[in-house]
Amino acid sequence: MLQTFSRRWARAELACAAALAAAITALILLNVLTRSVGFALYWVDELAVYAMIWMTLLAASAAVHHKDAVAVTIATDALPQDAARVLSRLVDAVIFALALLTAWFCWRWFLPLEFARAGFDVETFQGATFNFIYSEPTNTLGLRKVWVWSIMWVFAFGLILHSLSNLTTATDRKGTS
Amino acid sequence: AEFRLGLLTPPPHIWTKAAEAFAADLNSASDGAHSVQVFPARQLGNEAQMMQQLQTGALDMAFLTVAEVSNRVPDLGAFYAPYLATDIDHAGRILRSDTAREMLKPLPAKAGVVGLGLGMAGLRQIVSREEVTSAEDLSGLKLRITPFAPIFDFYEELGAAPTPMPLPSVYDALANGQVDAIDMDAELIWVLKYHEHAKTIVQSDHMMFPVVGLVSARVWKDLGEEDRAMIAELMARHLDSTIDTYATKEPEWLDNLKALDLTMTKAGPEFFADVIAEWDSKWAAKSPSLPAIRAAAEATR
Amino acid sequence: MTIAVFILCMFCAVPVAFVLILTAITYVQASGNAVLLDSFAQQLFSGLENYGLLAIPLFMMTGELMNEGGMTRRLVQAARVFVGGFRGGLAYINLLANMFMAAIIGSAASQIAVMSRAMVPEMKQEGYRPGFAAATTAAGGLLAPVVPPSMMFVIYGVLAQLPIGDMFIAGILPGLLLFGAFVIVITLIGVAQGFPQGQWMSRSEAAQALLGCLPASLIPVTIIGGILFGIATPTESAAVASLAAFTMAWFSGQRLTLPRLFRLFRRTAVNSGMVVFMIAAANVFGWVVVYEALPQKLAASITAITSDPFLFLLIVNALLLFVGMLIDGIAAVILVTPILLPIATGSYDIDPFQFGVVMCLNLVLGLLTPPVGVGLFITSSMTGIRVAEILSALWPFLLSVAVVLVALSYWPLLSTALL
Ligand code: NA
Ligand code: NA
Repeated sequence: MLQTFSRRWARAELACAAALAAAITALILLNVLTRSVGFALYWVDELAVYAMIWMTLLAASAAVHHKDAVAVTIATDALPQDAARVLSRLVDAVIFALALLTAWFCWRWFLPLEFARAGFDVETFQGATFNFIYSEPTNTLGLRKVWVWSIMWVFAFGLILHSLSNLTTATDRKGTS
Repeated sequence: AEFRLGLLTPPPHIWTKAAEAFAADLNSASDGAHSVQVFPARQLGNEAQMMQQLQTGALDMAFLTVAEVSNRVPDLGAFYAPYLATDIDHAGRILRSDTAREMLKPLPAKAGVVGLGLGMAGLRQIVSREEVTSAEDLSGLKLRITPFAPIFDFYEELGAAPTPMPLPSVYDALANGQVDAIDMDAELIWVLKYHEHAKTIVQSDHMMFPVVGLVSARVWKDLGEEDRAMIAELMARHLDSTIDTYATKEPEWLDNLKALDLTMTKAGPEFFADVIAEWDSKWAAKSPSLPAIRAAAEATR
Repeated sequence: MTIAVFILCMFCAVPVAFVLILTAITYVQASGNAVLLDSFAQQLFSGLENYGLLAIPLFMMTGELMNEGGMTRRLVQAARVFVGGFRGGLAYINLLANMFMAAIIGSAASQIAVMSRAMVPEMKQEGYRPGFAAATTAAGGLLAPVVPPSMMFVIYGVLAQLPIGDMFIAGILPGLLLFGAFVIVITLIGVAQGFPQGQWMSRSEAAQALLGCLPASLIPVTIIGGILFGIATPTESAAVASLAAFTMAWFSGQRLTLPRLFRLFRRTAVNSGMVVFMIAAANVFGWVVVYEALPQKLAASITAITSDPFLFLLIVNALLLFVGMLIDGIAAVILVTPILLPIATGSYDIDPFQFGVVMCLNLVLGLLTPPVGVGLFITSSMTGIRVAEILSALWPFLLSVAVVLVALSYWPLLSTALL
């Protein structure tokens, strides 16, 4: 159940990441094109950078599901199989802990409870918390930055889901070296 | 306490030197109780990132362009009113006015930072690859700007295509024609040699470009009255010293440029004609302080 | 404590990006600056807000599209025309094809990925030792960030405020020098081990091979031309190269169906996401390090040792070699340039182009050195050859790069002559 959800979620993450990778190229080409015809677009660079960041975080989360992130396996390769399996489970646990930390960092950054308590009023919230996350502007998109930052929640959720699923199944780490 | 102060400019820049001098003075004035580690050359990130770090309290202090702050507090856009100052000395008198200092008051509530003083960089000029003899010549040019709203609106009114671009890319872009012109101050035109690939300089002095000294509001609220007074006094003084430095240095840079084989034309408000009034009417809505700062400019002319 | 966490996690096979993040968190916790934790998530994000980094997915996309269009194979064929007949021909073909590829691709990691899939199986089949086949390919990948275009030079140029086009030109001679050094290494190994016999092509085969790679040679022309004529920035030129590669794949009769393109985009996202996420993690790590003003203390101790620029560069080289062992090359460039460049140009009057070339090549070398050698892992995962086996064949190449580095440090003209 958890495994199935984790697998489907990873597939969705990668589908979005793939679309974003295509979008990055398209946006940069659009930039070249519009500038060469004397109609430079103000917002393309920033949008392309955000697309890259979203792509990266989605792909990084999916990499936890596929266990294909870059790791140093020189020492672990030399271990007997049983010990390697225990260690692999330990690594899953470390990543799960880090996933929870990431969610906690997001919580302290977005302060959703305080924001709700302030009646979702930005000024009141800022006065009470000295946290300016909800009023930070993007440079050129005319959009609140918090919408762009919200990917961090998706990232934290993906990390928790995939690492928990890894922790509760007995699949072995793919040897990258 | 140990404070960290971040800024964008490289070590030899006037702003960085003012920051270092502030650090030294605060250390001796507090008998070593306070020290300030200066992080120049965007070591802690660009201005937007430093601003965010100030807000969380990760960074204690910063010297940032008013442009960056004005992206969050549009009222400060009034500092960029075209031809607010007639020359660099006048710009100094405006920045030293009570009105200017008054405009920093709402910063803690609006942006989570305390503004302690204003300093200056040179006035803005236009450097172009094409000949520019009238404002119409600017129409249709791709013109590099720093990304913030007041300057964007100014060039858009002129019919140019304002293209935001970080400073390190500018030399290249000007050399290979990716942009036709740039908005820049005399110091950087001279030091970074932008004149090498663009032979027309319109000495328009159309805008000033102030710097503001900031302390994180989270850090500020934990400081004692005595410390606050000491920091505020010293930071304001050293920022203020940049005004005098630019007032003496800017004519030198301009003279250096005049000695080169360049087309340099002087342009005043009449050059831009209606654009200035258009800008004012647009910004009157965004910046309530605009009439006050215009009045302060008139009073110090 | 911090170092213990770093080493323990690293050698227990925790993914590198997570090791860097965990180490940064531990450091923050230990130093008592807990306020940093409140902006930790934000810092992770903002480390990625860098226009220059866009070049990474773009260069990877170009590499994927070239592969898809069969262009890698054509480049290999063209290389065969020139060196195929020598004893050990395939090893030289590998190197020459890497040189061609370097004129198109800007990142060592993506070039190594593309070329190990293309060359290593073929070399194994002809009887080369697997370790040597993989090592040659991995070393050839080091040409990518030196021969223009170069992602690393883009990033250095941005940080050092140098014209990117000039930075590219500064890389031409060092690239040729590196190529020459690798040729010597392969020749010496061939003498020692005895390589398989090569075979020259017939004249008509050769003509066909050269004709076949003609479209591919248009890509470097697109890139350099785009930059010179001001149509595109270096980052944008990578996108233009993707478009060119796509067009060529299209007209070479490849059926680029939507599912096939989607898989290609997904590979690009997975591979570039992996690299860029490591950079994000290294950025947080670097932010914590800079925040604690460690680099300043380091800089002070270097200038106390020597006033000779060459000696300074040697010390920097040794230092960077160590940095490159632990930190990804691009992240290291981002981390080190703002600290070392002012010392190099200010205290030692070293040319910033020379310094950039030396520093970038040195840090690129880190891709192939343990314990953190992304290039090694990529080669290994693409070919299934164990890292230890690659390393045992790789050391002569690494040594030759070290010699080139000393030469580049001693003669500034090697970097600045063409400027
Ligand atoms: Na290259
Ligand atoms: Na390494």
